[in-house]
Amino acid sequence: MTISREVIEVDDATLIERSLNEPEIFAVLFDRHAPLLHRYVTRRLGPSEAEDVVADTFLAAFQRRGDYDRGRSDARPWLYGIASNLIGKRRRTETNLYRAYIRSGVHPAEIPGRQLEDGVNTLAVNRPLARALLGLARADRDVLLLVAWAELSYQEVADALAIPPGTVASRLNRARLQIRQALSQEERGE
Amino acid sequence: MDSLKGMDSLKTMWAAVPPATPQELAGARRRLLDGTRPRRRLVTVPRLLAAAGAAAAVAVAPLVIGNDTPAYAVAKGSDGTLTVTVNELRDPDGLEAKLSASGVKSDVTFLTAGQGCAAPRFAGVDATYGGSPVAGSEGLRELVNGSRSSKAAQVTSVRTIRISPEYIKPGETLVLEFRDNGNAQIPWRLGGWLAQADTPVQPCTIVEDAG
Repeated sequence: MTISREVIEVDDATLIERSLNEPEIFAVLFDRHAPLLHRYVTRRLGPSEAEDVVADTFLAAFQRRGDYDRGRSDARPWLYGIASNLIGKRRRTETNLYRAYIRSGVHPAEIPGRQLEDGVNTLAVNRPLARALLGLARADRDVLLLVAWAELSYQEVADALAIPPGTVASRLNRARLQIRQALSQEERGE
Repeated sequence: MDSLKGMDSLKTMWAAVPPATPQELAGARRRLLDGTRPRRRLVTVPRLLAAAGAAAAVAVAPLVIGNDTPAYAVAKGSDGTLTVTVNELRDPDGLEAKLSASGVKSDVTFLTAGQGCAAPRFAGVDATYGGSPVAGSEGLRELVNGSRSSKAAQVTSVRTIRISPEYIKPGETLVLEFRDNGNAQIPWRLGGWLAQADTPVQPCTIVEDAG
C-alpha cells in the first residue's frame, strides 16, 4: 500500500482511526514516534533491549488501537504509557544500567565524541544523578523520567500512567527532592 | 541550590544518546508490520450476516420472486428503504443500475462459492471493513450492530436485503459482495459496507476464500 502525503500530515488520532480500516497506516505512527521512544527506552534500559521494547510497545498499541481515545490528538502519552509498563518489567536491566554507569562513567549508547567535550563535569553531575535514580521508587522514577526525558506535561504523564494529575505532582515533587539532595550532597563532597 | 537545577541536570543527562536511526528501528518496524497482518483466522462480517440470514429464514414466509427480472428486484418502501430481492447471482451491473435509479450509489459483486475479493478494495467508513481483528462472534456482533455499514444494508431474509439510504451519507458508495453459498435454503451470503465519500472502490480481485 502506498501511504499518501495526506496521511503523513494528519494528527495521531486520525491516523489511528484510519488504521482500523487500513492497518498498514499504523506504520506512519511508528515512523513518527519510534525514533524518540527508542531513545527514551535506551536511556533507561540501554541499547540491547530498546528495540524489543519499542516493537512490543507498538504491537500492543496496534492491538488496542480500537480503544484509543480519539479526543487525544497526540498519541505520545498512550505510547509512553505502554512503554512504561514494559520498562517496569525490566527493572533489573534498568538498575543494572545505573550501577554500571556509576562504576564506569559510560552509558552504553552515548556517542563517545560528544561526551569527551565536557566529560569530567558531566560525570560529576551524572554519577550522583544515576545514584539518585537508582534510589527512587519505580512509580516516582516513571513520572520523573517521563517529564525530564520524554518531555511530557503533567497532564500527559497522568494520561500515560492512568493516574490523577495530583498524583503526578506529588510523585514528581518527591523525586525532584531526592535528585536535589543527591546533587547537593555531591557538591558538599559527601 | 536553585530548585530547578536538579531537573535541568537530569534533562541533559545522557542527552548524547541519539534518537534511533531507521536502521536501528528496521527490526521493530518489520515486527509491527508482520503484526498488522493477522495470521489467525478471523471471523468475518459476511459470515455473521449469513448467520443473520439463516436466522431470518426460519421466520420468513415463502419468497416473493420479483417479476420485473428473474434475477433480482428492487422495491421502494413508503419509509424510504429499498428491499432488494436477489434470487440469482447474475448481472451485477444491472443491479447497480437499478439501485442507482433508486438513488443509491453501489458497487455490486457476485462471487461463486469459495471465492472472495482481496481486501482492501476501498476505505470503509467504519471498522466493519478491514478493521482490527475481533475476538469471537460476540465482539463481531457488537461491532457490526453498532456500525453504520450494517444499518445501511441489512439481510432481512434468505433472499432479501433492506437498504436504508438514511444511513448513507452523500458521496458514499454501498459496496455489496454476494457469495454463492452452495445451499438452496440459504442461497448466498452478503458482505455489505460503506466506502468513504468520493473515494474509489477498486474492482474485486478474486481470491480463494473458503470462509
